[in-house]
Amino acid sequence: MNLYLLAPEISLCALALVVILLDLFIGRKWILGAVSIAGLIVPAAFTIALWGTNETSFNGMLVVDQFSLFFNLFFLVSTALVLLSSTEYASKFAAFRGEYYALVLLAAMGMMLMASTRELISIYIALELTGISLYALTGFLKDPKSSEAGLKYLLLGAVASAVLLYGMALVFGLTGTTHLEGIKAAISAEGLLASPALLMGIVLLVAGFGFKIATVPFQMWVPDVYEGAPTPITAYLSVASKAAGFAVILRVFYEALGPVSLDWSIIFAVLAAITMTLGNVVAIWQTNIKRMLGYSSIAQAGYLMIGLATVSALEPGAIGSSGPSALVFFLACYALTNLGAFIAIIAISNKIDSDEISDYSGMARRAPLLSLALALCLISLIGIPPTAGFMAKIYIFSAAVDYGLIWLVIVAVINTVISAYYYLRVIRVMFLGAPLSEERVPSSGALRAALSFACLGVLVLGIYPWVLLRIAEAAVRMFP
Amino acid sequence: MAIALEHFLILSAILFSIGLYGVLAKRNAVAILMSIELMLNAVNIALVAFWRYVAPTLLTGQVFVIFIMVVAAAEVAVGLAIIIAIYRSRETVDAEQIDLMKW
Amino acid sequence: MPPEVALAIFLLPFLSFVVIAFVIRPFLNNRPQLSGYVTIASIGISLLLSLWVLVEVIKSPGHELSMPDYQWLAIGDTAIHIGVTLDALAAVMLIVVTSVSLLVQVYSQGYMRGDPGYPRYFAFMSLFTCSMLGLVLADNLLFLYLFWEGVGLCSYLLIGFWFHKPEAARAATKAFVVTRLGDFGFLAAILFLYAKTGTFDIAELYVLAPALLSATALTWAAIGVFSGAVGKSAQFPLHTWLPDAMEGPTPVSALIHAATMVAAGVYLVARMFPVFASSTEAITTVAIIGGFTAIFAASMGLVMNDIKRVLAYSTISQLGYMMLGLGAVGVAVAGGVLEPEHGLMLGVAVGIFHLFNHAFFKALLFLGAGSVNHATGTFDMREMGGLRKAMPWTYLTFLIASLSIAGIWPLSGFWSKEGILAHAWESTPILFYLAMITVFMTAFYMFRVVFLTFGGEYRGQSEGSHGLHESPLVMIAPMVLLAILSVVSGWLPISELLGGESHSFFGALASPLAWASLILAGLGILLAYAIYSKKWLSAESLRQRFAPLYTLFSRKYWLDELYESVFVVRILIDGLFAAFHWFDDRVVDGVVNGVAGGTVAAGRGIRRAQTGQLQAYGLAIFIGILVIVACLFIFD
Repeated sequence: MNLYLLAPEISLCALALVVILLDLFIGRKWILGAVSIAGLIVPAAFTIALWGTNETSFNGMLVVDQFSLFFNLFFLVSTALVLLSSTEYASKFAAFRGEYYALVLLAAMGMMLMASTRELISIYIALELTGISLYALTGFLKDPKSSEAGLKYLLLGAVASAVLLYGMALVFGLTGTTHLEGIKAAISAEGLLASPALLMGIVLLVAGFGFKIATVPFQMWVPDVYEGAPTPITAYLSVASKAAGFAVILRVFYEALGPVSLDWSIIFAVLAAITMTLGNVVAIWQTNIKRMLGYSSIAQAGYLMIGLATVSALEPGAIGSSGPSALVFFLACYALTNLGAFIAIIAISNKIDSDEISDYSGMARRAPLLSLALALCLISLIGIPPTAGFMAKIYIFSAAVDYGLIWLVIVAVINTVISAYYYLRVIRVMFLGAPLSEERVPSSGALRAALSFACLGVLVLGIYPWVLLRIAEAAVRMFP
Repeated sequence: MAIALEHFLILSAILFSIGLYGVLAKRNAVAILMSIELMLNAVNIALVAFWRYVAPTLLTGQVFVIFIMVVAAAEVAVGLAIIIAIYRSRETVDAEQIDLMKW
Repeated sequence: MPPEVALAIFLLPFLSFVVIAFVIRPFLNNRPQLSGYVTIASIGISLLLSLWVLVEVIKSPGHELSMPDYQWLAIGDTAIHIGVTLDALAAVMLIVVTSVSLLVQVYSQGYMRGDPGYPRYFAFMSLFTCSMLGLVLADNLLFLYLFWEGVGLCSYLLIGFWFHKPEAARAATKAFVVTRLGDFGFLAAILFLYAKTGTFDIAELYVLAPALLSATALTWAAIGVFSGAVGKSAQFPLHTWLPDAMEGPTPVSALIHAATMVAAGVYLVARMFPVFASSTEAITTVAIIGGFTAIFAASMGLVMNDIKRVLAYSTISQLGYMMLGLGAVGVAVAGGVLEPEHGLMLGVAVGIFHLFNHAFFKALLFLGAGSVNHATGTFDMREMGGLRKAMPWTYLTFLIASLSIAGIWPLSGFWSKEGILAHAWESTPILFYLAMITVFMTAFYMFRVVFLTFGGEYRGQSEGSHGLHESPLVMIAPMVLLAILSVVSGWLPISELLGGESHSFFGALASPLAWASLILAGLGILLAYAIYSKKWLSAESLRQRFAPLYTLFSRKYWLDELYESVFVVRILIDGLFAAFHWFDDRVVDGVVNGVAGGTVAAGRGIRRAQTGQLQAYGLAIFIGILVIVACLFIFD
């Protein structure tokens, strides 16, 4: 057992404990935020130090490879941005800042574990560690909407967990093991390929994980929870939690259920088409920007699932736009874009105290840079060059075309056109509408730093995506 | 009649369905939470049965069950806390009335 | 020289932008002066590296360094390469951009002191410098276009720097919209060229475009490229944004709207010169637009009262000269009068030499205007006068720059203007006569500014002449350096480096053409002296005598109004809003009414399923699972 392999997770856990302890002793609570953000450097440093490792430990439960390390960094960066955007927002629950930061860090730890385990029990525990932290964070504001969101998220999340567990139990019962490699070996060896019970188990796993990534029909919780949750947590849910879901799906379906990929890739393809269409057409009707982005993130999950449907396109050792690498790349682009959009919304909504799109009228004159940044992120969400969203879509679409999923790409392109309508509407309101007041909308340094980072990332990935793309390809290379 | 794996699985499935019915039909949020516990326990029965009949040499099944119990307890704790918060602000825990956000 | 040097030149200002935007502005906002230092340091190093590049280019055979290029994008069979060009043209442009930018940044430290947006200002300036350098270095049209839009964006941000002023916000929007009109043509031309030749690489286009395109197609492609240049370089008929752009801070006007960005259009034509010179119609268009813009803008410069607006029209006019220089030689090449291998380089040399000289004296004029504004608080020349006593350094440097732009021997403006006039004389005589009249007008309006601003007695009401003061050293020093450059830049062998003619210091005076233009310029100065200094002629009575002309000039030929009402209001605002409205009306509502498709209605329908009921959501999960299972077992 090599504990060093677990150093990023352990240090993150320690950081959360330090934050809780500090909360007891210090009076100036802003220090907690600073410590949480600065402290993320330690797990990040461990992750980078581990770069290139490819080892398993804890009886094969923990795996440290390019994939898990990539996602470690991904979660750490997302967490840092979310924490940066929370520093000002946290004044809404001044007395509980310590708990807030600690919960965010623990959720991050859960996500990191989700990406770096290949055993069903650990996956479940990591999932719940993330889930329970996020349930609490969703209800953190204690106002009626936030509590309602928390309750809905918790109850539906628990139901989804039960479904997932039932699926896991079936898989365990059929194969006699919870290790992904063992499951794969058992499926091939015992001729389970056509077993209806296994198929049932797969469907239940899809449902359980589908709840995390919010695919139709397991997406119903998304708009309500996104609207009610504290906005930084909404951003966190829409980016990090969703990415963790995709990471774990890639692991489980690739490593354990690879032999039956024909069964599940078609499920994902159909769900992808339905998910993106539903997300986009319903988003058109939204008047609350957080709710609109909730539906938008459902639609984006649909695009992301194209990568899952295309998973089996990858020839062993092939390089190029394969489904998983396109998916991982899309996740990174989507994360920066969506976080940027949410950060801008946090900055604006905090001051005007409204999430209604109509209240953003003329925002370009009250907060020119914020509006510009938000517009950039929305453009990236549509997928117009030179932004990250464009590159991400190009890659995931071309992977699907290579695999022969032309119909899915056509659906996705039509969806992209539909989505332009509601994204551009926000831009139109901000830049052409008459301002509701002349008052400037100032923003804090932390928010600006986080937003600048996100926007810069969106542009850099839109113009020069190669470095990240190579990393994404390396990250998924160990999949057979 | 010897009790075989199938009997446990059928018991588990019935229990899961009862829990599911409770989740969908009960109005009280606490009752919904309890129904979810029922679903989780159905899974536990299946896991223990699978362990006993499929892989008795490994402890995996039992360990899984213990972990599910622990996690479920944590989940219930958070759940009750949120339900209390809702009750304080709205004086109801009726799931049908908790619909501020829709469409 | 390692190839990384070229990258460093371009990346240093970018680094400065990143540092200011992500470190200084968020975290060190109480020490804004840091942002100025970072900018100056990075651009200073860029300048040194540019000098290194220049030396290497001079030493290399053919004055061109070959640089490695990298594959940037590969989608299927399409590969787009990224690389830099380092030939004499790029090297000269690098020097212009970095040196003027550096001096302007130093000056800005004084001019912008105490402005609340100080770090933002330097962040944008760094970003601009970076984009401009990228534009110069790009070896393919795609990247050139990317940076082309980048400088446009920075220009927009900096014109609207004081966005709380409604005029500034308006001017910024106007600049953005008007230049975008030209860019549509440019982008269309890039895509068209790519479709026909399969390459974005400029050097390849030199050969492939004339070879693969029909004569008409080539003409339209070149005119498309030129339309981008017309927008960016504020040539007729897209010139109207530049005078309004003077709402930005004055150092911005000096750097972006005088020395560098507006010259990007000229650079683009020079860069694409072999393509232009392959089409007689296209290159003639360039010459005519340039020649006409030169005199057209100068005529409006005659009557403006705002010192920066005079300079703005003067900039448009001088950019027209550069286009004329390129066009005149190009016409000769296209007509077979000049051998291509000599003529192509000659044309670039003629145009860019003037660009080089103009960058220094025009930047200096703007910095002088800024200095005057610093003292008087106004740009209106009617409220100035007598400033030579209070501001001797500003006066002296402004005078040198004015003499230079008027084309007085042996200052820099003389040398490059002579080249343009000589070639216009040879290939396009009509445009030559227009250009000669422009020489007279240029000298007149520049010295009108000199006499109104610095001569006579102070006419401002606010504080009286004793409140006037010279600007601080940090502003004067860059002006003095620019003044030295305005004298000597014409003596540098830039033209030879670019493959043009060389000049001999006194030999130039042997040409009758030189004397003709010198006399015209002298007459212009004399007339200005007579009217505005000695008052032998009354400006007022002249104005009345030439009332129709005066009105025509001062109302800018009513083009602004025309564009405003017809274009901006009718087409853009009304059109855009109408389009949106139509979209709302027909597409959105129409769809709801069942006119087309079911998208939106479906959205509304599905939305109803989102009841807010927790248990309904739970039910959806289970029905979903059942449906998936059912489908799998049915279709399996």
